[in-house]
Amino acid sequence: MKVFAVARTAQAASDAARQRALDALHTALPRVGVLDRGVYACDLRGTRRLLGAPLEVARRIVALCERAGATCAIGVGPGTFVARVLADQTPLGEARELAMDARAFLAPLPVATLPLDPRIVDELALMGIRDVAGFAALDRGSVLDRLGRAAAAAHALASGMDDLPVHGVPPRRRIRAGRRFDDAIGSKEQLVFALRVLADTVADRLRADGLAALRLVLHAEREDAPVLRLERVLLPPAAEPAALVRSLRWALDELPHRSFVSAGTPGDRHALGRIEAAAIEAVEVEPLRGRQLGLFAPDGAHAEEAIAVAQHLRGRLGAGAVLRARVQSPDARLPEREVEWTEVVA
Amino acid sequence: MGSVATVAALDGAIARVERRYGSRALARGASFERRSDEGVLRTGTAFDRIAGGVPTGAPCAFVGTGACGKLALALRAVAAAQRDGAHVMWVDPTASLDAVAASHAGVDLNRLLVVRTRRRADALTSAAAALRSGGFRLVALDTGPGLLASSVRADDVAPLVPLVRGSAAALVVVTDQAPRRLALLTFRFERVAWERELGRTTGWTFRVAGARGAEALFHARSYPRTLLDLGVRGELLEASA
Repeated sequence: MKVFAVARTAQAASDAARQRALDALHTALPRVGVLDRGVYACDLRGTRRLLGAPLEVARRIVALCERAGATCAIGVGPGTFVARVLADQTPLGEARELAMDARAFLAPLPVATLPLDPRIVDELALMGIRDVAGFAALDRGSVLDRLGRAAAAAHALASGMDDLPVHGVPPRRRIRAGRRFDDAIGSKEQLVFALRVLADTVADRLRADGLAALRLVLHAEREDAPVLRLERVLLPPAAEPAALVRSLRWALDELPHRSFVSAGTPGDRHALGRIEAAAIEAVEVEPLRGRQLGLFAPDGAHAEEAIAVAQHLRGRLGAGAVLRARVQSPDARLPEREVEWTEVVA
Repeated sequence: MGSVATVAALDGAIARVERRYGSRALARGASFERRSDEGVLRTGTAFDRIAGGVPTGAPCAFVGTGACGKLALALRAVAAAQRDGAHVMWVDPTASLDAVAASHAGVDLNRLLVVRTRRRADALTSAAAALRSGGFRLVALDTGPGLLASSVRADDVAPLVPLVRGSAAALVVVTDQAPRRLALLTFRFERVAWERELGRTTGWTFRVAGARGAEALFHARSYPRTLLDLGVRGELLEASA
Protein backbone atom coordinates (compact mmCIF):
# COMPACT_ATOMS: atom_id res chain seq x y z
CA MET A 1 0.00 0.00 0.00
CA LYS A 2 1.29 3.41 -0.94
CA VAL A 3 1.69 5.78 1.99
CA PHE A 4 3.45 9.09 1.81
CA ALA A 5 3.96 11.79 4.38
CA VAL A 6 4.65 15.36 3.41
CA ALA A 7 6.04 17.75 6.00
CA ARG A 8 5.99 21.49 5.55
CA THR A 9 7.68 24.08 7.68
CA ALA A 10 6.33 27.57 8.33
CA GLN A 11 6.58 30.03 5.45
CA ALA A 12 8.62 32.36 7.63
CA ALA A 13 11.00 29.65 8.84
CA SER A 14 14.67 30.44 8.43
CA ASP A 15 16.98 28.34 6.28
CA ALA A 16 18.61 26.99 9.43
CA ALA A 17 15.23 25.88 10.81
CA ARG A 18 14.38 24.20 7.52
CA GLN A 19 17.71 22.40 7.55
CA ARG A 20 17.06 21.23 11.10
CA ALA A 21 13.67 19.90 10.04
CA LEU A 22 15.27 18.03 7.14
CA ASP A 23 17.93 16.62 9.46
CA ALA A 24 15.21 15.45 11.85
CA LEU A 25 13.38 13.71 9.00
CA HIS A 26 16.59 12.05 7.90
CA THR A 27 17.22 10.70 11.38
CA ALA A 28 13.72 9.21 11.63
CA LEU A 29 12.90 7.96 8.14
CA PRO A 30 14.66 5.96 5.46
CA ARG A 31 13.72 7.88 2.31
CA VAL A 32 13.26 11.64 2.33
CA GLY A 33 13.03 13.93 -0.66
CA VAL A 34 12.70 17.66 -1.13
CA LEU A 35 9.55 18.79 -2.98
CA ASP A 36 9.94 22.50 -2.51
CA ARG A 37 11.58 25.02 -0.23
CA GLY A 38 10.67 23.79 3.25
CA VAL A 39 8.44 20.97 1.92
CA TYR A 40 9.71 17.44 2.31
CA ALA A 41 8.23 14.14 1.17
CA CYS A 42 8.77 10.84 2.95
CA ASP A 43 8.00 7.49 1.40
CA LEU A 44 6.55 5.31 4.16
CA ARG A 45 5.90 2.20 2.12
CA GLY A 46 6.92 -0.94 3.97
CA THR A 47 7.69 0.80 7.22
CA ARG A 48 4.58 -0.08 9.19
CA ARG A 49 6.04 -3.12 10.98
CA LEU A 50 9.29 -1.37 11.70
CA LEU A 51 8.14 2.13 12.60
CA GLY A 52 4.42 1.74 13.38
CA ALA A 53 1.29 3.27 11.89
CA PRO A 54 1.97 6.19 9.50
CA LEU A 55 0.02 8.68 11.59
CA GLU A 56 2.00 7.72 14.68
CA VAL A 57 5.21 8.11 12.74
CA ALA A 58 4.06 11.53 11.56
CA ARG A 59 3.27 12.65 15.10
CA ARG A 60 6.68 11.47 16.29
CA ILE A 61 8.31 13.46 13.51
CA VAL A 62 6.35 16.57 14.45
CA ALA A 63 7.58 16.18 18.04
CA LEU A 64 11.12 15.54 16.81
CA CYS A 65 11.07 18.69 14.71
CA GLU A 66 9.71 20.67 17.64
CA ARG A 67 12.63 19.50 19.77
CA ALA A 68 15.02 20.47 16.98
CA GLY A 69 13.53 23.97 16.94
CA ALA A 70 11.56 23.65 13.70
CA THR A 71 7.77 23.56 13.72
CA CYS A 72 6.15 21.62 10.93
CA ALA A 73 2.83 20.23 9.77
CA ILE A 74 2.49 16.77 8.24
CA GLY A 75 -0.10 15.26 5.95
CA VAL A 76 -0.23 11.52 5.31
CA GLY A 77 -1.89 10.17 2.18
CA PRO A 78 -1.67 7.63 -0.64
CA GLY A 79 0.31 10.01 -2.84
CA THR A 80 2.74 12.87 -2.44
CA PHE A 81 0.41 15.41 -4.06
CA VAL A 82 -2.59 14.65 -1.92
CA ALA A 83 -0.39 14.42 1.17
CA ARG A 84 1.04 17.84 0.37
CA VAL A 85 -2.42 19.35 -0.05
CA LEU A 86 -3.42 17.83 3.28
CA ALA A 87 -0.24 19.18 4.92
CA ASP A 88 -1.07 22.65 3.62
CA GLN A 89 -4.46 22.42 5.33
CA THR A 90 -2.99 21.12 8.59
CA PRO A 91 -2.05 23.63 11.28
CA LEU A 92 1.62 23.79 12.24
CA GLY A 93 2.56 21.35 14.98
CA GLU A 94 -0.03 18.75 13.94
CA ALA A 95 -0.20 15.65 11.78
CA ARG A 96 -3.22 14.39 9.88
CA GLU A 97 -3.95 11.33 7.81
CA LEU A 98 -6.34 11.31 4.87
CA ALA A 99 -9.44 9.48 6.03
CA MET A 100 -11.20 9.26 2.66
CA ASP A 101 -10.55 8.49 -0.98
CA ALA A 102 -8.00 10.86 -2.51
CA ARG A 103 -10.32 11.78 -5.39
CA ALA A 104 -13.16 12.56 -3.04
CA PHE A 105 -10.81 14.67 -0.89
CA LEU A 106 -9.62 16.71 -3.84
CA ALA A 107 -13.00 17.05 -5.56
CA PRO A 108 -14.35 20.14 -3.75
CA LEU A 109 -11.04 22.01 -3.79
CA PRO A 110 -10.49 24.87 -6.26
CA VAL A 111 -8.86 23.87 -9.50
CA ALA A 112 -5.93 26.18 -8.72
CA THR A 113 -4.87 23.61 -6.12
CA LEU A 114 -3.57 21.49 -8.96
CA PRO A 115 -0.16 22.26 -10.46
CA LEU A 116 -1.60 24.16 -13.44
CA ASP A 117 -0.46 27.22 -15.29
CA PRO A 118 -2.55 30.23 -14.15
CA ARG A 119 -3.57 30.87 -17.76
CA ILE A 120 -5.03 27.38 -17.94
CA VAL A 121 -6.85 28.00 -14.67
CA ASP A 122 -8.34 31.15 -16.21
CA GLU A 123 -9.28 29.23 -19.35
CA LEU A 124 -10.98 26.55 -17.26
CA ALA A 125 -12.83 29.27 -15.34
CA LEU A 126 -14.14 30.64 -18.62
CA MET A 127 -15.38 27.13 -19.38
CA GLY A 128 -17.17 27.14 -16.02
CA ILE A 129 -14.75 24.67 -14.37
CA ARG A 130 -13.81 25.97 -10.95
CA ASP A 131 -13.19 22.89 -8.80
CA VAL A 132 -11.11 19.77 -9.11
CA ALA A 133 -14.15 17.55 -9.57
CA GLY A 134 -15.15 19.49 -12.68
CA PHE A 135 -11.67 19.24 -14.10
CA ALA A 136 -11.46 15.52 -13.30
CA ALA A 137 -14.70 14.96 -15.18
CA LEU A 138 -13.12 16.09 -18.46
CA ASP A 139 -11.82 13.54 -20.90
CA ARG A 140 -8.08 12.99 -20.44
CA GLY A 141 -7.38 12.85 -24.17
CA SER A 142 -9.20 16.13 -24.76
CA VAL A 143 -7.24 17.77 -21.94
CA LEU A 144 -4.01 16.56 -23.47
CA ASP A 145 -4.98 17.78 -26.92
CA ARG A 146 -6.24 21.19 -25.90
CA LEU A 147 -4.23 22.07 -22.81
CA GLY A 148 -0.99 20.13 -23.14
CA ARG A 149 0.98 17.49 -21.31
CA ALA A 150 1.32 19.35 -18.00
CA ALA A 151 -2.43 19.80 -17.79
CA ALA A 152 -2.91 16.09 -18.55
CA ALA A 153 -0.57 15.25 -15.66
CA ALA A 154 -2.61 17.53 -13.40
CA HIS A 155 -5.78 15.80 -14.63
CA ALA A 156 -4.27 12.46 -13.53
CA LEU A 157 -3.65 13.92 -10.07
CA ALA A 158 -7.21 15.24 -9.94
CA SER A 159 -8.41 11.74 -10.75
CA GLY A 160 -6.51 10.33 -7.78
CA MET A 161 -3.75 8.78 -9.91
CA ASP A 162 -0.72 10.05 -8.05
CA ASP A 163 2.37 8.12 -9.05
CA LEU A 164 4.95 10.79 -8.34
CA PRO A 165 7.96 9.06 -6.77
CA VAL A 166 10.02 10.46 -3.92
CA HIS A 167 13.52 11.29 -5.09
CA GLY A 168 15.52 10.75 -1.93
CA VAL A 169 18.31 13.17 -1.06
CA PRO A 170 21.27 11.86 0.93
CA PRO A 171 21.36 13.01 4.51
CA ARG A 172 23.81 15.75 5.39
CA ARG A 173 27.05 14.17 6.55
CA ARG A 174 28.75 15.43 9.65
CA ILE A 175 32.43 14.91 9.03
CA ARG A 176 34.19 16.21 12.06
CA ALA A 177 37.35 15.55 13.98
CA GLY A 178 38.19 17.16 17.27
CA ARG A 179 40.70 16.97 20.06
CA ARG A 180 40.97 18.38 23.55
CA PHE A 181 44.45 19.35 24.71
CA ASP A 182 45.82 18.54 28.14
CA ASP A 183 47.81 21.76 28.11
CA ALA A 184 46.28 24.73 26.37
CA ILE A 185 47.96 25.72 23.10
CA GLY A 186 49.37 29.19 23.12
CA SER A 187 50.82 29.69 19.66
CA LYS A 188 49.54 29.63 16.13
CA GLU A 189 52.29 27.29 14.94
CA GLN A 190 51.42 24.73 17.62
CA LEU A 191 47.77 25.00 16.70
CA VAL A 192 48.50 24.42 13.02
CA PHE A 193 50.60 21.40 13.96
CA ALA A 194 47.69 20.01 15.95
CA LEU A 195 45.28 20.75 13.11
CA ARG A 196 47.34 18.60 10.76
CA VAL A 197 46.36 15.51 12.73
CA LEU A 198 42.70 16.52 12.69
CA ALA A 199 42.87 17.30 8.98
CA ASP A 200 44.27 13.81 8.36
CA THR A 201 41.23 12.30 10.06
CA VAL A 202 38.76 14.52 8.20
CA ALA A 203 40.51 13.80 4.89
CA ASP A 204 40.37 10.04 5.55
CA ARG A 205 36.63 10.23 6.16
CA LEU A 206 36.05 12.40 3.12
CA ARG A 207 37.98 10.08 0.86
CA ALA A 208 36.29 7.00 2.31
CA ASP A 209 32.96 8.45 1.11
CA GLY A 210 34.36 9.81 -2.15
CA LEU A 211 33.74 13.39 -1.03
CA ALA A 212 35.66 16.64 -1.05
CA ALA A 213 35.18 19.48 1.41
CA LEU A 214 33.68 22.66 0.00
CA ARG A 215 33.23 24.52 3.28
CA LEU A 216 35.37 23.91 6.30
CA VAL A 217 34.84 25.20 9.80
CA LEU A 218 37.35 25.37 12.61
CA HIS A 219 35.98 25.50 16.14
CA ALA A 220 38.51 26.45 18.79
CA GLU A 221 37.55 26.47 22.47
CA ARG A 222 39.55 29.06 24.35
CA GLU A 223 40.34 29.85 27.94
CA ASP A 224 38.33 32.83 29.18
CA ALA A 225 37.08 33.64 25.69
CA PRO A 226 34.16 32.58 23.49
CA VAL A 227 34.57 29.77 21.00
CA LEU A 228 36.48 30.91 17.93
CA ARG A 229 34.75 29.86 14.71
CA LEU A 230 36.55 30.23 11.42
CA GLU A 231 34.85 29.26 8.18
CA ARG A 232 36.63 28.74 4.89
CA VAL A 233 35.44 27.95 1.39
CA LEU A 234 37.75 25.64 -0.54
CA LEU A 235 37.81 26.19 -4.26
CA PRO A 236 38.30 23.77 -5.83
CA PRO A 237 36.82 21.42 -3.19
CA ALA A 238 39.57 19.32 -1.67
CA ALA A 239 40.04 16.10 0.24
CA GLU A 240 43.79 16.49 0.64
CA PRO A 241 44.89 17.07 4.23
CA ALA A 242 47.52 19.56 3.06
CA ALA A 243 44.85 21.63 1.30
CA LEU A 244 42.62 21.59 4.38
CA VAL A 245 45.44 22.66 6.68
CA ARG A 246 46.63 25.30 4.25
CA SER A 247 43.20 26.88 4.08
CA LEU A 248 42.87 26.93 7.86
CA ARG A 249 46.37 28.33 8.25
CA TRP A 250 45.46 31.18 5.93
CA ALA A 251 42.32 31.77 7.95
CA LEU A 252 44.49 32.02 11.06
CA ASP A 253 46.98 34.24 9.24
CA GLU A 254 44.19 36.60 8.33
CA LEU A 255 43.30 37.15 11.96
CA PRO A 256 44.74 40.42 13.25
CA HIS A 257 48.11 40.00 14.88
CA ARG A 258 47.42 40.41 18.56
CA SER A 259 49.11 39.21 21.66
CA PHE A 260 47.77 35.85 22.70
CA VAL A 261 47.43 36.91 26.30
CA SER A 262 45.15 39.74 25.26
CA ALA A 263 42.37 37.32 24.30
CA GLY A 264 39.22 37.87 26.22
CA THR A 265 39.71 41.56 26.66
CA PRO A 266 36.73 43.60 25.51
CA GLY A 267 36.62 44.14 21.79
CA ASP A 268 39.32 41.58 21.14
CA ARG A 269 37.29 38.69 19.88
CA HIS A 270 39.67 37.81 17.05
CA ALA A 271 42.79 37.20 19.09
CA LEU A 272 43.52 33.50 19.31
CA GLY A 273 43.98 33.19 23.03
CA ARG A 274 44.89 29.89 24.63
CA ILE A 275 43.24 27.01 22.83
CA GLU A 276 41.89 24.19 25.00
CA ALA A 277 40.19 22.17 22.28
CA ALA A 278 39.92 22.32 18.52
CA ALA A 279 37.73 20.65 15.94
CA ILE A 280 37.54 20.69 12.17
CA GLU A 281 34.25 20.07 10.44
CA ALA A 282 33.47 19.76 6.76
CA VAL A 283 30.06 21.42 6.77
CA GLU A 284 29.53 21.27 3.01
CA VAL A 285 30.86 18.57 0.75
CA GLU A 286 30.82 17.66 -2.91
CA PRO A 287 31.55 14.44 -4.75
CA LEU A 288 35.29 14.12 -5.14
CA ARG A 289 36.32 14.76 -8.71
CA GLY A 290 39.22 12.99 -10.29
CA ARG A 291 42.40 14.90 -10.95
CA GLN A 292 44.45 14.55 -14.07
CA LEU A 293 47.64 12.75 -13.24
CA GLY A 294 50.83 14.39 -14.40
CA LEU A 295 51.89 11.50 -16.56
CA PHE A 296 54.67 13.35 -18.29
CA ALA A 297 55.18 15.96 -15.59
CA PRO A 298 55.59 14.32 -12.18
CA ASP A 299 55.20 17.59 -10.32
CA GLY A 300 52.20 18.71 -12.36
CA ALA A 301 49.91 17.57 -9.58
CA HIS A 302 51.27 20.44 -7.48
CA ALA A 303 50.02 23.02 -9.95
CA GLU A 304 46.76 23.37 -8.03
CA GLU A 305 48.72 24.14 -4.88
CA ALA A 306 50.72 26.78 -6.71
CA ILE A 307 47.59 28.41 -8.10
CA ALA A 308 45.97 28.30 -4.67
CA VAL A 309 48.98 30.14 -3.24
CA ALA A 310 48.73 32.69 -6.04
CA GLN A 311 45.05 33.24 -5.25
CA HIS A 312 45.81 33.68 -1.58
CA LEU A 313 48.60 36.16 -2.22
CA ARG A 314 46.49 38.03 -4.76
CA GLY A 315 43.81 38.48 -2.13
CA ARG A 316 46.32 39.48 0.48
CA LEU A 317 48.67 41.72 -1.48
CA GLY A 318 46.20 43.13 -3.98
CA ALA A 319 46.38 43.60 -7.72
CA GLY A 320 49.73 43.78 -9.47
CA ALA A 321 51.62 41.73 -6.92
CA VAL A 322 51.49 38.16 -8.25
CA LEU A 323 52.56 38.19 -11.84
CA ARG A 324 53.60 36.02 -14.72
CA ALA A 325 55.86 37.19 -17.51
CA ARG A 326 55.51 36.61 -21.22
CA VAL A 327 58.24 37.56 -23.63
CA GLN A 328 56.61 39.63 -26.34
CA SER A 329 59.47 40.89 -28.43
CA PRO A 330 62.97 39.96 -27.25
CA ASP A 331 64.58 42.33 -29.76
CA ALA A 332 62.49 45.35 -28.89
CA ARG A 333 64.40 48.59 -28.48
CA LEU A 334 62.57 49.55 -25.30
CA PRO A 335 62.86 47.17 -22.34
CA GLU A 336 59.21 47.69 -21.38
CA ARG A 337 58.17 46.32 -24.77
CA GLU A 338 60.20 43.16 -24.38
CA VAL A 339 58.02 41.58 -21.75
CA GLU A 340 54.35 41.63 -20.85
CA TRP A 341 53.49 41.11 -17.21
CA THR A 342 50.07 39.66 -16.46
CA GLU A 343 48.22 38.75 -13.29
CA VAL A 344 48.40 35.05 -12.47
CA VAL A 345 44.91 35.24 -11.00
CA ALA A 346 42.68 37.80 -12.67
CA MET B 1 72.80 4.75 20.25
CA GLY B 2 72.36 6.85 23.36
CA SER B 3 72.28 5.74 26.93
CA VAL B 4 69.26 4.03 28.41
CA ALA B 5 68.32 7.24 30.19
CA THR B 6 68.53 9.23 26.96
CA VAL B 7 66.40 6.74 25.08
CA ALA B 8 63.86 6.69 27.89
CA ALA B 9 63.74 10.49 27.92
CA LEU B 10 63.28 10.52 24.15
CA ASP B 11 60.50 7.95 24.35
CA GLY B 12 58.84 10.03 27.04
CA ALA B 13 59.05 13.14 24.89
CA ILE B 14 57.62 11.27 21.90
CA ALA B 15 54.81 9.92 24.05
CA ARG B 16 53.99 13.43 25.28
CA VAL B 17 53.89 14.81 21.75
CA GLU B 18 51.72 11.92 20.54
CA ARG B 19 49.40 12.29 23.51
CA ARG B 20 48.96 15.94 22.75
CA TYR B 21 48.88 16.00 18.98
CA GLY B 22 47.83 12.45 18.10
CA SER B 23 49.57 9.22 17.23
CA ARG B 24 50.39 10.30 13.70
CA ALA B 25 52.00 13.56 14.65
CA LEU B 26 55.46 12.02 14.64
CA ALA B 27 57.13 9.59 12.30
CA ARG B 28 60.58 8.11 12.44
CA GLY B 29 62.96 9.23 9.79
CA ALA B 30 63.73 5.67 8.78
CA SER B 31 60.17 5.28 7.60
CA PHE B 32 60.64 7.84 4.85
CA GLU B 33 62.10 6.99 1.50
CA ARG B 34 63.76 9.63 -0.62
CA ARG B 35 65.59 9.25 -3.82
CA SER B 36 69.19 10.31 -3.61
CA ASP B 37 68.78 12.85 -6.41
CA GLU B 38 65.73 14.44 -4.78
CA GLY B 39 67.92 16.40 -2.43
CA VAL B 40 69.53 18.70 -4.99
CA LEU B 41 68.70 20.70 -8.08
CA ARG B 42 71.38 20.17 -10.65
CA THR B 43 72.08 23.23 -12.78
CA GLY B 44 74.12 21.29 -15.30
CA THR B 45 77.11 23.60 -14.82
CA ALA B 46 80.45 23.56 -13.01
CA PHE B 47 78.55 24.79 -9.97
CA ASP B 48 77.27 21.22 -9.50
CA ARG B 49 80.85 19.95 -9.37
CA ILE B 50 81.91 22.30 -6.58
CA ALA B 51 78.67 22.30 -4.59
CA GLY B 52 76.75 19.23 -5.75
CA GLY B 53 73.88 21.45 -6.90
CA VAL B 54 71.39 23.69 -5.18
CA PRO B 55 70.23 21.84 -2.07
CA THR B 56 66.53 21.26 -1.35
CA GLY B 57 65.26 21.06 2.17
CA ALA B 58 67.81 23.64 3.26
CA PRO B 59 68.22 27.34 2.58
CA CYS B 60 71.19 28.70 0.70
CA ALA B 61 72.40 32.16 -0.23
CA PHE B 62 74.00 33.48 -3.41
CA VAL B 63 76.03 36.42 -2.18
CA GLY B 64 77.89 38.98 -4.24
CA THR B 65 77.95 42.56 -5.38
CA GLY B 66 75.92 43.80 -8.34
CA ALA B 67 76.65 42.31 -11.77
CA CYS B 68 78.61 39.36 -10.51
CA GLY B 69 76.51 36.55 -11.95
CA LYS B 70 74.43 35.41 -8.98
CA LEU B 71 71.15 36.09 -10.78
CA ALA B 72 72.33 34.26 -13.87
CA LEU B 73 73.12 31.13 -11.87
CA ALA B 74 69.93 31.46 -9.83
CA LEU B 75 67.97 31.42 -13.08
CA ARG B 76 69.78 28.21 -14.04
CA ALA B 77 68.62 26.77 -10.73
CA VAL B 78 65.07 27.85 -11.53
CA ALA B 79 65.25 26.09 -14.89
CA ALA B 80 66.58 22.99 -13.15
CA ALA B 81 63.70 23.06 -10.67
CA GLN B 82 61.18 23.32 -13.48
CA ARG B 83 62.64 20.38 -15.35
CA ASP B 84 60.12 17.98 -13.78
CA GLY B 85 57.17 20.28 -14.40
CA ALA B 86 57.33 22.02 -11.04
CA HIS B 87 56.42 25.61 -10.29
CA VAL B 88 58.85 28.18 -8.95
CA MET B 89 58.17 31.36 -7.03
CA TRP B 90 60.44 34.35 -7.50
CA VAL B 91 59.97 36.97 -4.81
CA ASP B 92 61.12 40.21 -6.34
CA PRO B 93 60.75 43.19 -4.00
CA THR B 94 62.89 45.40 -6.22
CA ALA B 95 61.05 44.45 -9.44
CA SER B 96 64.38 43.74 -11.10
CA LEU B 97 63.80 40.29 -12.61
CA ASP B 98 64.78 40.24 -16.28
CA ALA B 99 62.23 37.94 -17.88
CA VAL B 100 64.10 37.82 -21.20
CA ALA B 101 67.27 36.67 -19.44
CA ALA B 102 65.19 34.13 -17.57
CA SER B 103 63.76 32.86 -20.82
CA HIS B 104 67.27 32.61 -22.31
CA ALA B 105 68.37 30.64 -19.24
CA GLY B 106 65.74 28.01 -20.00
CA VAL B 107 63.12 29.15 -17.50
CA ASP B 108 59.52 28.33 -18.39
CA LEU B 109 57.84 31.64 -17.65
CA ASN B 110 54.41 29.99 -17.46
CA ARG B 111 55.53 28.11 -14.38
CA LEU B 112 57.31 31.02 -12.77
CA LEU B 113 55.22 33.08 -10.36
CA VAL B 114 56.74 36.46 -9.67
CA VAL B 115 55.69 38.25 -6.52
CA ARG B 116 56.42 41.96 -6.58
CA THR B 117 55.83 43.61 -3.28
CA ARG B 118 57.86 46.34 -1.67
CA ARG B 119 57.11 45.55 1.95
CA ARG B 120 59.52 43.26 3.73
CA ALA B 121 56.75 41.51 5.66
CA ASP B 122 54.80 40.80 2.47
CA ALA B 123 57.86 39.41 0.72
CA LEU B 124 58.56 37.05 3.60
CA THR B 125 54.89 36.08 3.89
CA SER B 126 54.80 35.22 0.19
CA ALA B 127 57.88 33.04 0.44
CA ALA B 128 56.50 31.36 3.55
CA ALA B 129 53.16 30.63 1.87
CA ALA B 130 54.95 29.09 -1.09
CA LEU B 131 57.17 26.92 1.10
CA ARG B 132 54.27 25.75 3.24
CA SER B 133 52.05 24.90 0.30
CA GLY B 134 54.25 22.18 -1.13
CA GLY B 135 53.36 23.41 -4.60
CA PHE B 136 56.76 24.91 -5.39
CA ARG B 137 60.06 23.18 -5.98
CA LEU B 138 62.08 26.33 -5.51
CA VAL B 139 61.48 29.70 -3.91
CA ALA B 140 63.95 32.41 -4.83
CA LEU B 141 64.10 35.63 -2.86
CA ASP B 142 66.03 38.40 -4.56
CA THR B 143 66.72 41.01 -1.90
CA GLY B 144 68.32 43.46 -4.32
CA PRO B 145 71.07 45.85 -3.26
CA GLY B 146 69.40 46.55 0.07
CA LEU B 147 69.94 50.29 -0.04
CA LEU B 148 66.76 51.21 1.82
CA ALA B 149 66.05 50.57 5.47
CA SER B 150 62.88 48.75 4.48
CA SER B 151 64.70 46.40 2.10
CA VAL B 152 64.73 42.69 2.71
CA ARG B 153 68.07 41.47 4.06
CA ALA B 154 69.48 37.98 4.23
CA ASP B 155 69.09 37.88 7.99
CA ASP B 156 65.35 38.52 7.61
CA VAL B 157 64.76 35.06 6.16
CA ALA B 158 65.23 33.41 9.57
CA PRO B 159 61.48 32.61 9.89
CA LEU B 160 61.66 30.75 6.56
CA VAL B 161 64.42 28.40 7.67
CA PRO B 162 62.22 25.98 9.65
CA LEU B 163 59.74 25.92 6.75
CA VAL B 164 62.26 24.83 4.19
CA ARG B 165 64.09 22.35 6.40
CA GLY B 166 62.92 18.85 5.60
CA SER B 167 60.69 20.00 2.75
CA ALA B 168 61.21 19.04 -0.89
CA ALA B 169 61.62 22.68 -1.86
CA ALA B 170 64.75 24.78 -2.14
CA LEU B 171 65.10 28.31 -0.87
CA VAL B 172 67.65 30.47 -2.63
CA VAL B 173 68.34 33.93 -1.25
CA VAL B 174 70.00 36.16 -3.82
CA THR B 175 71.59 38.99 -1.93
CA ASP B 176 74.37 41.57 -1.97
CA GLN B 177 75.33 41.19 1.65
CA ALA B 178 75.97 37.92 3.43
CA PRO B 179 73.86 37.19 6.49
CA ARG B 180 75.51 38.26 9.73
CA ARG B 181 73.45 36.49 12.34
CA LEU B 182 72.04 33.60 10.33
CA ALA B 183 74.04 30.51 9.42
CA LEU B 184 73.11 29.85 5.81
CA LEU B 185 74.90 27.74 3.27
CA THR B 186 76.55 30.61 1.40
CA PHE B 187 78.03 30.70 -2.09
CA ARG B 188 80.10 33.80 -2.72
CA PHE B 189 80.12 35.28 -6.19
CA GLU B 190 82.94 37.54 -7.32
CA ARG B 191 83.50 39.31 -10.58
CA VAL B 192 86.94 38.53 -12.00
CA ALA B 193 87.11 40.72 -15.10
CA TRP B 194 85.00 42.85 -17.38
CA GLU B 195 84.88 42.11 -21.08
CA ARG B 196 84.88 45.11 -23.38
CA GLU B 197 84.42 45.32 -27.13
CA LEU B 198 84.63 48.50 -29.16
CA GLY B 199 84.75 50.56 -26.02
CA ARG B 200 81.60 49.08 -24.58
CA THR B 201 81.16 46.60 -21.78
CA THR B 202 79.75 43.39 -23.24
CA GLY B 203 80.21 40.90 -20.46
CA TRP B 204 82.11 39.79 -17.43
CA THR B 205 83.76 36.74 -15.95
CA PHE B 206 82.88 35.67 -12.45
CA ARG B 207 83.70 32.92 -10.04
CA VAL B 208 81.64 31.09 -7.45
CA ALA B 209 83.36 29.86 -4.33
CA GLY B 210 82.09 26.60 -2.90
CA ALA B 211 83.22 24.48 -0.01
CA ARG B 212 86.87 23.52 0.49
CA GLY B 213 88.06 26.43 -1.65
CA ALA B 214 86.81 25.04 -4.95
CA GLU B 215 85.78 27.64 -7.48
CA ALA B 216 83.61 27.52 -10.58
CA LEU B 217 84.20 30.04 -13.36
CA PHE B 218 81.57 31.50 -15.65
CA HIS B 219 81.43 34.11 -18.33
CA ALA B 220 78.29 36.18 -18.77
CA ARG B 221 77.64 38.05 -22.00
CA SER B 222 75.19 40.90 -22.27
CA TYR B 223 74.48 40.53 -25.97
CA PRO B 224 73.35 37.94 -26.66
CA ARG B 225 72.39 37.18 -23.08
CA THR B 226 74.25 33.97 -22.46
CA LEU B 227 76.08 32.30 -19.62
CA LEU B 228 79.18 30.34 -20.59
CA ASP B 229 80.33 27.62 -18.22
CA LEU B 230 84.13 27.82 -18.08
CA GLY B 231 84.61 24.95 -15.64
CA VAL B 232 86.21 24.39 -12.25
CA ARG B 233 89.29 26.50 -11.60
CA GLY B 234 91.43 23.62 -10.34
CA GLU B 235 90.72 21.58 -13.45
CA LEU B 236 91.53 24.55 -15.67
CA LEU B 237 94.88 25.02 -13.93
CA GLU B 238 95.69 21.33 -14.36
CA ALA B 239 94.77 21.50 -18.03
CA SER B 240 96.94 24.56 -18.64
CA ALA B 241 99.95 23.17 -16.73
